[in-house]
Amino acid sequence: MAQFIQFVLTRAAMAVMTLMIVSLIVFSLMELVPGSCAERYLAFKNTQGSQITIADIEAEERRLGLDRPFPERWVKWVYKVFVHGEFGESCILRLDINQLLADKFLISLGICLAALILSYAIALPIGIISASSKSAVANNTMRFVSYLGLALPNFLLALIIMLFATVWFGESLTGLYSKEYRDAAWNWAKFMDFLGHAWLPVFVLGWSATAFALQTVRALMLDEIGKLYVTAAAARGVLGAKLLWRYPAKHSLGPVVNSLGFDLNRIFNELPVIAMILTLTESGALLIESLARSNDQQLAGAIIFLLTASIVVMNFATDILLALIDPRVRRGLMG
Amino acid sequence: MKKYILSAFAVLAMPAAAYANCPGITVADMKGVKSGAYPQQYEVAEFEAAAGCKMSFSSNPDAASLNARIQGNPDLPPLADRIPQEPLVVVPYSSIGKYGGTLDALSNATEAGTSDFLSIRHVNLVRYSDDLQTIVPNVAKSWEWNSDYTKLTFHLRAGHKWSDGQPFTSADVKFWYDNLMMDTNVFEKPKDYALVGGERMTVDTPDATTVVFNLPAPKPGLLAHFATSYAQGFQPKHFLGQFHPGISADADAKAKALGFENGYAVIRAYYGSSDWTDTPSPMLNSPDKVAKMPGAAVPTLESHFVVSETTEGRHFVANPYFHMVDTSGQQLPYINEMDEIYANDHEVRLLKLINAEVDYKSQSLGLPDAPILLQNMEKGDYTVQIKPRISMPTVSFNVTSEDAGKRAIFGDLRFRKAMSIAMDRNAINETAYFGQGEARQYVGFSPVPSFVDSKWLTFATEHDPAGAKALLDEIGLVDQNGDGIRDLPGGAPFILNLQFAQQGLPGQVVELIAQSWNAVGIQSAVKEVTPDEYRSAQSSNQLDVGLWEKSQPLAIVLGNNELWVPPFENYFAHRTGMLWAEWVDSNGASGVEPPEYVKQLMNDINAFQSTPVGTPESNAIGARMVENMTSNLLFLGTVLSAGPIYHRNALKNVPEFMTESYEYYRTYPYRGAQWYLDE
Repeated sequence: MAQFIQFVLTRAAMAVMTLMIVSLIVFSLMELVPGSCAERYLAFKNTQGSQITIADIEAEERRLGLDRPFPERWVKWVYKVFVHGEFGESCILRLDINQLLADKFLISLGICLAALILSYAIALPIGIISASSKSAVANNTMRFVSYLGLALPNFLLALIIMLFATVWFGESLTGLYSKEYRDAAWNWAKFMDFLGHAWLPVFVLGWSATAFALQTVRALMLDEIGKLYVTAAAARGVLGAKLLWRYPAKHSLGPVVNSLGFDLNRIFNELPVIAMILTLTESGALLIESLARSNDQQLAGAIIFLLTASIVVMNFATDILLALIDPRVRRGLMG
Repeated sequence: MKKYILSAFAVLAMPAAAYANCPGITVADMKGVKSGAYPQQYEVAEFEAAAGCKMSFSSNPDAASLNARIQGNPDLPPLADRIPQEPLVVVPYSSIGKYGGTLDALSNATEAGTSDFLSIRHVNLVRYSDDLQTIVPNVAKSWEWNSDYTKLTFHLRAGHKWSDGQPFTSADVKFWYDNLMMDTNVFEKPKDYALVGGERMTVDTPDATTVVFNLPAPKPGLLAHFATSYAQGFQPKHFLGQFHPGISADADAKAKALGFENGYAVIRAYYGSSDWTDTPSPMLNSPDKVAKMPGAAVPTLESHFVVSETTEGRHFVANPYFHMVDTSGQQLPYINEMDEIYANDHEVRLLKLINAEVDYKSQSLGLPDAPILLQNMEKGDYTVQIKPRISMPTVSFNVTSEDAGKRAIFGDLRFRKAMSIAMDRNAINETAYFGQGEARQYVGFSPVPSFVDSKWLTFATEHDPAGAKALLDEIGLVDQNGDGIRDLPGGAPFILNLQFAQQGLPGQVVELIAQSWNAVGIQSAVKEVTPDEYRSAQSSNQLDVGLWEKSQPLAIVLGNNELWVPPFENYFAHRTGMLWAEWVDSNGASGVEPPEYVKQLMNDINAFQSTPVGTPESNAIGARMVENMTSNLLFLGTVLSAGPIYHRNALKNVPEFMTESYEYYRTYPYRGAQWYLDE
């Protein structure tokens, strides 16, 4: 038990270290964007009829602390984020990022996790069955469907669904809520309404994720299924589903659990494009808005950081899970 | 004998008839009632006299429940205590409307592409009638000028009230002018429309319903400004004044109690430090403080009041104190609620329009979108009007670029001319506008007044790639490393970054322009950005190329000099020469000194605004302004075209528009308060 706690603590410390390194990378990336936050802030003063001068920009840079050296600003940023959980203000929207992201990031994460769960809920049983099945029809069908999932880009799928919806139902299927719930506080009715809209992004994101997971599970299963211990078990009279679940399926599970964090990342990468097409208003949409069309470094930095943090947390969780399933992992790590 | 008896009866019956209910006349069917002093609207007494009736007023049955959704509003008094003693009688276009419904609107973002929708609920002191010629009363009941246009007097309506039920008086106009516009803590520099030749006016309030603007020099265009601008010449003194240190001694203390730094910070939260009423309200900019504040947004005179706001959209309810009634005496507006959502992606906006998820839209649509909209008209049960535009896509070069190499090139008239003749305007017209537009040079005025020599309209608009190449060779923009792309004289690569927003001009037009420039060896890269990003890049002098629509009618030029003084328009529009502007602003202390012709433009516009329009003197100044503006090609015109206006068929009383344009403040001449939903 002590060994296990030590393992958890070590992993936690490593996760925090990773987060620090990630924050450094994110912060450096924010530096590379042309134009500073001061300029974007000041641009709004133009609406009051005042001209922005170089002197104004420099004064604003001093006010925002942008004239300080890079390491100092990074330390301050990290301190604010880690200790106070504050990301500052968005340059273009001039709104507090914490307020702006509030439930938006959780919604994005929820959508991605739902897509992840959906993909494994489908991929695990079907992958296992298809790997063991000798039926050519079943195998080819599965192969066809999963190739389609891999080959058809998500944004195209979203567009096709929207187009069908437009032509047949006269409804563009965009957004995350019906308008009567848009401004409402979270309650059961709003949540149900949200589910009524969220299925589409979950489905679209889950589509390719499922195909990907299917291929993985099937390949892992095929690897295991021909091994000697399986043949030996079969020779001992363990047959059919029992044989499948007890031996090769259990062994192929390890790598799958291990790759959950990676899969989440891949799904989140797809999210902004889907969000743009479906006019979702969660953080994926904000990310593409702030990164590609607005150069809002503060906001983009915050979202990327939160995303990375979720993946690090996810990896931490899967490591613990793996260690629970498989003692070899614990021992391997602890030496 | 019979004749006498009948006439005696008639005489007896007349007073009774005079007190009969008023006929619900419409523009389509005036039922024999003569027009009043102004088209399509009356003062109450005027209408009663014309129709021989006595008006009685009625209210929206949902008024109380809508009022309950406005934070800080007390319970509703009866209608008679809500509308002015002399409400404005509005003649509906085709039928007396019915109350209810929610108007769905679509904008690009919180502060982008919202003017179209804002214009539906907009009010100002006066308004342009739908002939775009006649200025008619609105918030003001009447006005008069003195003989030399140095004194403009407005008469307000007795008993007019803000959306929170407090009286609206001349003090609110004076408050706006003295304590907001002229207070450097609110506006660092007063807007041009609030000045005359750079000098401030004074505002007198002889009584609660009379406002006098005293002008230091003649400016007949001041009235047109109040008729066309989103900027309203009044703000609630009773409300904002309590946080204004100049009005209220405990302003800062009150502000601190609400969690703000000082009184001006609260004013900023409500007023956005901007005359643009769509800046974020406290619901968006101070959500943690809004519950304790005296209102969620600043009280308004507009037809609807914002009751919720997020980064996704805004929601409005009818203003229970609105000052207009229809001819049957029903208080306007008819429409109960308005809902605005944001979609920054052009294709998604189109999809929503085709699906009829929106009731009205015109801004950010262009002629290139017309075919797909027209094709789905029947299925979506909506109507698309194609109407001429006033402004056209124009191109400018950053003549005061931070990059010295680029500044020298952009500042060279030969370069601007080369870029103008490199453009194939006919191809743009054919491809983007289906040959329906007209190739044009930018002359500053649109429609073109008679004093403009027609040669300027086609100046340097011929498509002449060979001529363009020769000019570029002449200024030393030649290919130095043999890659087919022209480099700067020093050998550094020369790339034009064409950042544009769909709200400013169609992407197709930008791509065609970039193609034609690439064809003469000027490497041009196109990137779509959000309107906000475009504007902030422009403000901080980071654009190479300005891409936005431009042009104004004569009436507006007379009231606002912005097209003729660096940076040649405001934050929301197309600007160039940002450092010239800084020089002008700082009286030469910083920035870059503009060339002579720009100084001439600045002198001329002041003289032009103070000279009665149509006189030979005025025409001569106007002609010189056009010559200076056009021959120097600060802005390159492209194609003047028409644009689509979309509305669902369930939205009634929407007339044929005269133009698809921003310049008369979009739908304001077409009276959104009498639109209604029939579903």
